[in-house]
Amino acid sequence: MQPTKDSFYIALRTRLVAVDPNRTMTLDGATRPAIAVIENEPPTGAPLLCDTFYLRWGNARPTTLSVGTLMAMDCTISYCTKGSVQNANLDRGRDLAGLDNDLLAICAPPQTPKYDYSTGSPVSLASTIFWTQPVLNAAKSTPPYVGRDINVTVFFYPEVNQS
Amino acid sequence: MFDQSEIILGRACAARRFADALLRSGGDTQVTVRISNPSTGDTNSQLGLEPPSAADLQVSPALVKTLNPIEDGKRRIEAVISASALKAIARQYQVEDIAAWLLLAQGVLYYGNLMRIDTVTVDRFFGSDCLYHLTATE
Repeated sequence: MQPTKDSFYIALRTRLVAVDPNRTMTLDGATRPAIAVIENEPPTGAPLLCDTFYLRWGNARPTTLSVGTLMAMDCTISYCTKGSVQNANLDRGRDLAGLDNDLLAICAPPQTPKYDYSTGSPVSLASTIFWTQPVLNAAKSTPPYVGRDINVTVFFYPEVNQS
Repeated sequence: MFDQSEIILGRACAARRFADALLRSGGDTQVTVRISNPSTGDTNSQLGLEPPSAADLQVSPALVKTLNPIEDGKRRIEAVISASALKAIARQYQVEDIAAWLLLAQGVLYYGNLMRIDTVTVDRFFGSDCLYHLTATE
């Protein structure tokens, strides 16, 4: 299961660098692409950053329609923005549209090879994970913030002798 | 002619010293705040494979109050820390926003347990930070 989580994150991160190289964040003193997995970050009391994609993993289950061992796992991608102070936060809708565009771009194509990253370098597992296209549901507005929680279902075959 | 700004600065200094004296009168407790060193930002750290190194900062004067535990029984404390002591340490780390920096810390060490910092509030008198209140949960 962990290779699925890691491969999904690395695929989205790599695509974000290509799609929008200027979308970066500074977390723990390091500047990096503006995407992070909540469970991989230090559990601090600091609020989540704006203009950053946060991945939160949900439940995993066998797919009901599948005869084999195909599994499905929920992933929520959360992001928000408050626009810019120079524009009195009036551009928050436009900034959200920019985030939406980036999300749709990094989620396509909805598949990527699966790798095991547990040894520190990627080891191919000769398998592929795939996922549902994100649906942009209604934006949550808590002035001055506006954002979305997007649900994506990731499908994978569990690896034998893998966590 | 009085220099108005000098009077204000003097008042702020007096308030800070009064706050420090108040903390020392409570036993001159020392609080240990564990902060993460800057992350390498590489793939292993982003995948949670490589924990960031940490540094323990001893801060005094301070006071520690035990708060009512939260609903699931986890212990909670409030640490009241001298702003002048924190500022001296923050300067070494080139930190401007001390409250945000503390929220990013790994936690407060309390009887060997690392307690996660939930909130940071600041008491300001005469335009100067005097006391930092940290609430932390086990």
